[in-house]
Amino acid sequence: MNTFKPVLTEHIGQPDCHTLSFYKSVGGYTALEKILKMKPEDVTQEVKDSNLRGRGGAGFSTGVKWGFIPKDSNKPKYLINNADESEPGTFKDRLLMNKAPHQMLEGMIIAAYAIGCHTSFIYIRGEFYKEYKILEKTIAEAYENNILGQNILGSNYNLDIVIHRGAGAYICGEETGLIESLEGKRGWPRIKPPFPAIEGYLQSPTIVNNVETLSCIPHIINRGSSWFKSIGPEKGPGPRLFCISGCINKPGVYEEPMGISLKELIYEKAGGIPDDKQLKAVFPGGSSSAILTAEEALDVKMDFEDLVEKKSMLGSAGVIVMDETVDMVQACLNIARFYAHESCGQCTPCREGTVWLVKMLTRLVNGGGKPNDIDMLFEITDNIGGLIDFSKGSYGKTICPFGEAVAWPVRSLVEKFKAEFLEYLPEEKAVA
Amino acid sequence: MPLLKIDDKEIQVQSGATVLETAEANGIEIPHYCYHPALEVVGSCRMCLVQVEGMPKLQVSCNTFVGDVHPDRKVDGKYDMVVHTQNDLVVQERKNILEFLLLNHPLDCPVCDQAGECYLQDYSFKFGNAHSRFEENKRVRSNEYLGSQIVINHNRCILCSRCVRFTQEISGTSELFVEARGYNTKVAALEEKPLDNLLAGNVADICPVGALLSTDYIHKNRIWNLKKQSSVCQDCSVGCNVDVFSQTNQIFRLTPRENHDVNGYFMCDIGRYGFHRFEEIERVTQPMIREGDSFVSFEWEEAIQETVDRLKRAGGKVAGVTSPYHTNETNFMLGLMVDGILGNLSQIDGEEINYPSGFRISSDRSPNRNGMNDVCPGNVDDLISDIDEQNIRTIYILDDGVDRDFDEVWKSILSKMDFVVVQTYRMTMLAQSANIILPGLAPFEREGTITNDGGRVQWLRPSLPIKGESRADWEILMMALKALDNNAQIFTDVSQVMKKMGEKIPAYKDVSFFNLGDKGLSLNGIASK
Repeated sequence: MNTFKPVLTEHIGQPDCHTLSFYKSVGGYTALEKILKMKPEDVTQEVKDSNLRGRGGAGFSTGVKWGFIPKDSNKPKYLINNADESEPGTFKDRLLMNKAPHQMLEGMIIAAYAIGCHTSFIYIRGEFYKEYKILEKTIAEAYENNILGQNILGSNYNLDIVIHRGAGAYICGEETGLIESLEGKRGWPRIKPPFPAIEGYLQSPTIVNNVETLSCIPHIINRGSSWFKSIGPEKGPGPRLFCISGCINKPGVYEEPMGISLKELIYEKAGGIPDDKQLKAVFPGGSSSAILTAEEALDVKMDFEDLVEKKSMLGSAGVIVMDETVDMVQACLNIARFYAHESCGQCTPCREGTVWLVKMLTRLVNGGGKPNDIDMLFEITDNIGGLIDFSKGSYGKTICPFGEAVAWPVRSLVEKFKAEFLEYLPEEKAVA
Repeated sequence: MPLLKIDDKEIQVQSGATVLETAEANGIEIPHYCYHPALEVVGSCRMCLVQVEGMPKLQVSCNTFVGDVHPDRKVDGKYDMVVHTQNDLVVQERKNILEFLLLNHPLDCPVCDQAGECYLQDYSFKFGNAHSRFEENKRVRSNEYLGSQIVINHNRCILCSRCVRFTQEISGTSELFVEARGYNTKVAALEEKPLDNLLAGNVADICPVGALLSTDYIHKNRIWNLKKQSSVCQDCSVGCNVDVFSQTNQIFRLTPRENHDVNGYFMCDIGRYGFHRFEEIERVTQPMIREGDSFVSFEWEEAIQETVDRLKRAGGKVAGVTSPYHTNETNFMLGLMVDGILGNLSQIDGEEINYPSGFRISSDRSPNRNGMNDVCPGNVDDLISDIDEQNIRTIYILDDGVDRDFDEVWKSILSKMDFVVVQTYRMTMLAQSANIILPGLAPFEREGTITNDGGRVQWLRPSLPIKGESRADWEILMMALKALDNNAQIFTDVSQVMKKMGEKIPAYKDVSFFNLGDKGLSLNGIASK
């Protein structure tokens, strides 16, 4: 893997790397020129062949998703760029928008062309004000240079892009919640079917793609799907931006090939743990993924398949590192609080269950724990997120995956660090 | 047509039908809260989860559609879908959902008006746990007025959002919305626009729990004390189907009754609260004859005899005045008794109100103008000249019961009359000008048929007992008719009048209580559903 050269972040760090002139100087928008001469379905096929899987969290095949757009529909098609990056421990899209906005924009235009979209949206997290201003400028530059608007680069293809700022809800990063929010409604995820590709924004076929996913597109077009597939494991290949935070010497975004070992990522790329403390646990894919113990973490490859085998997930590739000093019960309470705060309140299990978890964990932390609480924590998480059987998929019980997103980390924390939870029980303390 | 297997039942279904609808139609109960047949499906309560073979997760049956699948993918070689609504997984899941719903619920059934017709209560009893495992503090909020007649008890609310969707989709007024997020989520009304539309009362009906309450009914009675009578609303010509809830001689509430040919699932607040109008009126319950400036009470025989004697003595023709507030049978009997019909006193003076869902409040606030015109036609253009030309000196009026001032026309008519009989249930201005008052029944005491403005004949049923010496209006007319003409037919009940009416009025030949049933009978030849 020594030969891996960053793809998405190759030019990040160079002066004015966010500008159009810089992007063009390094070969920007050549992929766009290329695809404007191609048939849209051939573009989709190329992306499908690349095995690119979504970088937002779910990891669904991007090309397959595009293929769901009905061919015979005369409704307008919409592409939405999901820039509502809100997963705790995840900050890669922000970097891409900050430093390589034209790369993302080119990916958007190619995706829009492939699905026959003429109006596209960037749904950007409200807190990303600086990035919003940068994108405004990026889009203005693109319009000035005929990269957006009518007859793009002399082709007959037209595309307008609108930026929409979110108002600070985690759930609006879920694609149907995002679509509701974009329509001006409350960000409550929609029940499926219908899926967005059939009835999404304004009941029209809609594709929602993540910033990093879209940023991969120009490179797939330029260098070909087989090049992309050759990076990392074939079933989920490509470069990946890993966001490393927590107890780490050099936190930040690292672009590495899919399938890099977590050990290498933590100890070689990100400089290991401060003061040479012992690794205790890692969230490999944002706070919604099941936590890995140090032992598991040091033996895992960062790709979709291997993490599923370890009963976790790659998610948004937000790697949160915890050393031996971290109190796992407090961490669990912190995570439960986050999800209780962000639960949209629509589905019964999530609305009621998340706060039950918080109330119970708070009581436990404050010394009011009861022996039965540990079993109840398992039951409540199972009832919110469903029992997890990776061979059959998840048994999620809510409209959107939020239920699983709270159940997995909390359940795995209790399961893997049960001793620490037991220590909080008053009786156990007395015995010790 | 796809073949669905639910539990042990094999059911042929229309392609695209949902599992929930199919189950309900086939007598299989799937508990649900957020689903309402008139509203968009949101699938948020998670109560209707069922297991569908071949799907890893439990599915919400309200949004699971049955369709034809490829022959190779049929389950057991023949089923397009196999659903389990009673297996361990589903039974346990219902317990889980009910546990969540009851975490913050106050369990105040003894003081809750919904008790007895509450789906939280019923489902907990049928499907839930007997004990709570929740040891934390409950969320407590105070009640709020959403509108002048609707109160929300947030502690009982399960956030199914039916009420919010009702104001968005049915009334189109959107006063209600969901406020805040997660644990703090609650239903609220816009500050500038409280829930005061004319359909507001329906939100209390569609609320599956005791969260939304009509101020008109809070703590007034218990549902198991009340007698429920299906009937028809009499406050406009739409004729919404209703259930009237009463105890002894008092009505406590009206709720809409489902009829897709008339009102769907809903009714308006004019009709819902209209029964209060009759609670404090000055009733006439004894036949009365004018003597000078005052009235003297008489027994029926004397009053009828006096009426007939005076009618005969006056000579000339007897004119009748029909009423669109009265039943077909009463108007029909009037037609048999008098020489000619002058018309009626009622005006169409309401405001027509249409809602985006198609729900309608008619500008005609009388219930039976169509039927009145069918069974007892006879409007004339110029009443006064007709009276003059035909030398009419006596008049028999079915009183609308609406206390209205006389206009110049009516003042002139009454001044020309030698003898005025008014059949009424209350002392209206018209009754006060009568020579004889014959006491009929008030709207909620009547039985018979009324025909709505869509040409549907519906069964009006009594929900209150007859007061004092009052008699059914058709019966009074029959007595008078018999006294006038000894050969006149005797009817022992209203269905015999109906039969006679069917013989005389061809359009009404199929009208009988049996044919009307609960949903009525369309005169346009469209079979009722």
